[in-house]
Amino acid sequence: MAERISSLLRRSVEHLQDEVPDSYDLLVAKLGTMVVELDVDGEVFSLSVDDRLAVQDGATQTAGVRIVTSRITILDLLDARVGLGEAVEAGTVSVHGSLDNVQRAHDSLLAYVHAAVRASTQPGLLAELRTGAP
Amino acid sequence: MNATLVRNDFLRAPVQATARPAGFKEWHHFVVHARGVRLLINFSLNNETRLAPRVIVIAHDAKWTGAIERFDERALNVSADLGDLIIGDNRMTVLPDGYRVVIDLPDKDIRGELHFTSASRPFVVRNQPLGNGRINWLFVPRLRANGWLRACGREHRLEDDLAYHDHNWGRFRWGDDFGWTWGTILPTRAGDPWSMVFMQTTDRSRLHNLSQALYVWHHDEPAAIFRHAAVQTRSHGRLGRAPDGTLPPPMRLLLDGEVPGVPELIDITATRAGDRVHAEFHAHSYVRIAQPSEVSLDRSTVLCETGGTARASGTINDEDFDFVGTGVFEFLYG
Repeated sequence: MAERISSLLRRSVEHLQDEVPDSYDLLVAKLGTMVVELDVDGEVFSLSVDDRLAVQDGATQTAGVRIVTSRITILDLLDARVGLGEAVEAGTVSVHGSLDNVQRAHDSLLAYVHAAVRASTQPGLLAELRTGAP
Repeated sequence: MNATLVRNDFLRAPVQATARPAGFKEWHHFVVHARGVRLLINFSLNNETRLAPRVIVIAHDAKWTGAIERFDERALNVSADLGDLIIGDNRMTVLPDGYRVVIDLPDKDIRGELHFTSASRPFVVRNQPLGNGRINWLFVPRLRANGWLRACGREHRLEDDLAYHDHNWGRFRWGDDFGWTWGTILPTRAGDPWSMVFMQTTDRSRLHNLSQALYVWHHDEPAAIFRHAAVQTRSHGRLGRAPDGTLPPPMRLLLDGEVPGVPELIDITATRAGDRVHAEFHAHSYVRIAQPSEVSLDRSTVLCETGGTARASGTINDEDFDFVGTGVFEFLYG
């Protein structure tokens, strides 16, 4: 059985804190106090900052932004088969929230990618993400 | 010629990266100008927190495709004579008369065996400033490539096709205050004796030239070298098409649309001591190779590997020439 997306994200941010602490701190600063709720193929979880980045299973009432997508779309984005803007236009990534919060979520996503591409552990996690693709 | 090659082209990393590892980088780069096909192969070592080996293979026939494979430091092996660079199951060997390259990237469905035979005298350029660092490079303007490469479902057979090689090493940081335009121009007609290499380094904003040169070889010897004020360049337009791809693909999330783009035309004029050259490179397509900035946490360095056609004419040592050919230019944006 494929590892859950929330579990992969949890491991990913833990590695980032250890491997690229400056990039991790930038991600924490970008996300600030906002809670992002994600729904990936029906698996609902959230990302927020407590004293550090935390991935919580289940829905939250405090989300500033809600993002709905699928594992296959995440892989399409990571493999550059589609751009983020195109995915939003096509509805394979849907984002709900105020404009300010959507902008902050976007900045946080970029900070996360900048951190991930600087960390040698992330390609292994990407390979695990692929094992769950349909 | 051969003695010069083996005397100068050897790995620097085992000594220099150990003595002072911060910022050390080294790579061997091959460009094949085959009939209807361009191939780029790169073996690189980049000192991040430790020495990170990578193999890059990209090919262009209908469009640019390829892959970047990053390896663990333990996959790196260098022979005692510094002439063999082994990264995983990939190997680059400096030979008395050229180079042997073996590519084996099964996860990317890329394999190949190529033999490059030097057809021109190599040249070394030392201590070129790049931001706060320095780079050294050795290049061989013309080689003959034989062998095969299978990449992305296509097999390319090489039979005495023209090629270019350079070997770069030094200490600098990706994302520091520099940019560059570099290019290899080789004639389409195999018997044509002229080969050209162009290099221009600038600041990051491309407002100031730090260094520039046009190197012209005739048969296997340097015929003319134009430096600094002897070289004038002009860029025209912007190529009106998106890149064929971005490598490694996740970096596309950090690069919007078509940025940074490439010029439609590069025009190079060089004059010195009665010699003159006019060369034009017309860009046709490009692929982006991106890597994280080492200076800023939220920036990227982008190399646009660009294929196109070229035409060069002029007079060197009282000999007139005029040829059409192919060019591969690299535009680096920091």
